[in-house]
Amino acid sequence: MTTSPNAAISIRGVSKRFGEHQAVDNVSIDVPAGAIYGFIGPNGSGKTTTIRMIMNILVPDSGNIQVLGRPSAADVRDDVGYLPEERGLYKKMTVRRVLRYYGQLKGKPVAEIDTAVQEWLARLQLSDWIDKKVEQLSKGMAQKVQFIAAVVSQPKLLILDEPFSGLDPVNAEALKDAVLEMRRRGTTIVFSTHDMNAAERLCERIFMIFKGRKVLDGTLDDIQREYAHDTARVRISGGAGVLVGLPFVESVNDHGNYQDVRLKGDPQAFLQQLVQKTDVHHFEITRPSLHDIFVRIARPSADDIQAAEGATR
Amino acid sequence: MSRIFTIAQSEFLTLVKTKAFIFGIILMPVLMVGFMFFMSYAQRHVDVERRPFAVIDGTGVLFAPIVAAADERNARFVSGDQRTGPEFVPTAVDLAGRSMDEVKVELSDRIRKKELFAFVDIPAEAISATGTDIPAVRYYTETTSYEPLPNWLRTTLNEEITKRRYDEAGIDQALIARLNTRTSVATFGLLERATDGSVTEAKEVDGLARMALPIFFLGLMFMAVMTTAQQLLNAILEEKMSKISEVLLSSVTPFQLLMGKLLGVVCVALLLAFVYFAGGMYALFSSGRWDLFNPVLIAWFLLFLVCASLLYGSVFLALGSACSDLKDAQSMMQPAMVLIMLAYLGSFVVIQNPESSVAVGMSFFPTMTPFAMMLRMAMPPGPPLWQVLLSVVVLVVSTGLCVWAGSRIFRIGILMQGKAPTLPELLKWIRA
Repeated sequence: MTTSPNAAISIRGVSKRFGEHQAVDNVSIDVPAGAIYGFIGPNGSGKTTTIRMIMNILVPDSGNIQVLGRPSAADVRDDVGYLPEERGLYKKMTVRRVLRYYGQLKGKPVAEIDTAVQEWLARLQLSDWIDKKVEQLSKGMAQKVQFIAAVVSQPKLLILDEPFSGLDPVNAEALKDAVLEMRRRGTTIVFSTHDMNAAERLCERIFMIFKGRKVLDGTLDDIQREYAHDTARVRISGGAGVLVGLPFVESVNDHGNYQDVRLKGDPQAFLQQLVQKTDVHHFEITRPSLHDIFVRIARPSADDIQAAEGATR
Repeated sequence: MSRIFTIAQSEFLTLVKTKAFIFGIILMPVLMVGFMFFMSYAQRHVDVERRPFAVIDGTGVLFAPIVAAADERNARFVSGDQRTGPEFVPTAVDLAGRSMDEVKVELSDRIRKKELFAFVDIPAEAISATGTDIPAVRYYTETTSYEPLPNWLRTTLNEEITKRRYDEAGIDQALIARLNTRTSVATFGLLERATDGSVTEAKEVDGLARMALPIFFLGLMFMAVMTTAQQLLNAILEEKMSKISEVLLSSVTPFQLLMGKLLGVVCVALLLAFVYFAGGMYALFSSGRWDLFNPVLIAWFLLFLVCASLLYGSVFLALGSACSDLKDAQSMMQPAMVLIMLAYLGSFVVIQNPESSVAVGMSFFPTMTPFAMMLRMAMPPGPPLWQVLLSVVVLVVSTGLCVWAGSRIFRIGILMQGKAPTLPELLKWIRA
């Protein structure tokens, strides 16, 4: 397998095992330069492990990773900004000092850092806090400062592990704008999240990892197309009860006034069947939302549940 | 390299700005000196009370000398119109036919009423008896903790009684004193013949040069190592627990991080040394003991201090990086602390006899070298040069090894979470 020359990140056949637990299993992805790439997946599915391997914090058991065309992130440290899942700021330092320190560690001159810090603090409404100690900040503010720490050196590649977790809507919006600003400046952005709305709105491409394996990878369009035409949104007399036991129905997501029906087989045949049974007020073939796809993949299947019950018995 | 300096600078500022450092290190000597001044001031100035006391003089001859001695003493503790010491005011008590117990009870009551401070009962046999069965002079007071008065009485009475015994035996006390005059033995270093043939005068060695200087070096070394090592461990643990280390390692290599921290700590240790040397030099200057100032010794001390900081610093950093919480860190730290304590306490063996085989052995054991060798060098005549050079080589090599091994452990430990590793695991990390 060859790595793609234009990719900001190129991962080939990477696996990582912690004792008995296979955290990442033979994963390959290419993150194109300039893209916003979302890593999604339930907790414990291998997102952070993958990110840590990209950051060279963990070493893969097998496979290889190229970052910005180099065989290791260690070679391009100064061009990569990183926001870890758990926040890391010195509590006793002032915002100014901690940001300056992190910028200096990326090899930037102090004057350049100070200008960037001023600008970012203003953008994220934190200018008044520049000389406050980190311990005085609220959680949301600290998170924004952590984000600034990751971007203050104007990296070519920005890796954000769960940047939106624990933020209120206003701060989440401010951070989203900041991410878009970074893309405007030409930075490739990878972020992990389990907030499907954020992923759907922001990402051009999405990678979903589940139980260590890649289950989705592509543009949002590709993914939705792949899962399209098997979901019908219906409004019928009699509601969800009518749908029970119909041959084409795989599962039903009941929203009360309408139902999303996942189908096996031809939607037209299902419609004919439905018309014979009851009054159909509305019938629409829909694209599933990312959320639906996510839940569909991550929700334990009937087989899993049976296996689990068998194990406890 | 510039990243290492950036880390060192940040580490240095963080360490120096902690309250523990400012209070413990800079303020400690100030407080000590202040305390000493206060104590001596208090001793000279606080006790200017009048201390009236009654004397039941069974001998009938001792009261007059007591009064004379008290007057003479009271006169000595006056400067201008200010008293600088307590005033002892004796009054004689006449039994006037009453029983001794009755008088003592009455005197006790007067003490309770604060009319008197104390009273003494001098039995008649105090001067006449000889041998072992001389009855004690009894001193009664409410304030038993107050010592100047009974001490003064003891001296005064003994002098007076001894004088009477000599007089009675017909011996001239002044003659005895003259015949008993003791000679002193002063300790000198060795004489040297200069190139022009003249003989340089040997320097007289006093207690200050013999003990105070080595102990000053020893204490300073101990303090520098103890405080910086512990601070390093705490700092690395905080970084690890709050995931700062992950952010740092996305910008620098573990080795750069380790070296930056070590460099920062060396600077802190040097700052500490300079503060204390400045203080020490001021003390030497103000006491007119410039002859004790020895720049060569200071240079050696700084070399040993740098090595000790690096050696212990890398051990503590490696241990800190391997732990994930405070409890682990405390148990991991204990063996390393024992190393420092052993070196420190062992040094007192060196002070006793700097040329003993134990002392020589200790000065070649790397964790002890900075303490033991420093002490031996500070104590005349000092070890032979080959021993000094050998110990420095051993120390520098083992410091290098320690930093290397530390960086191997640090590299893995800093990103490990969960259970602290066992010793065999640590050794595996070093070899990995």
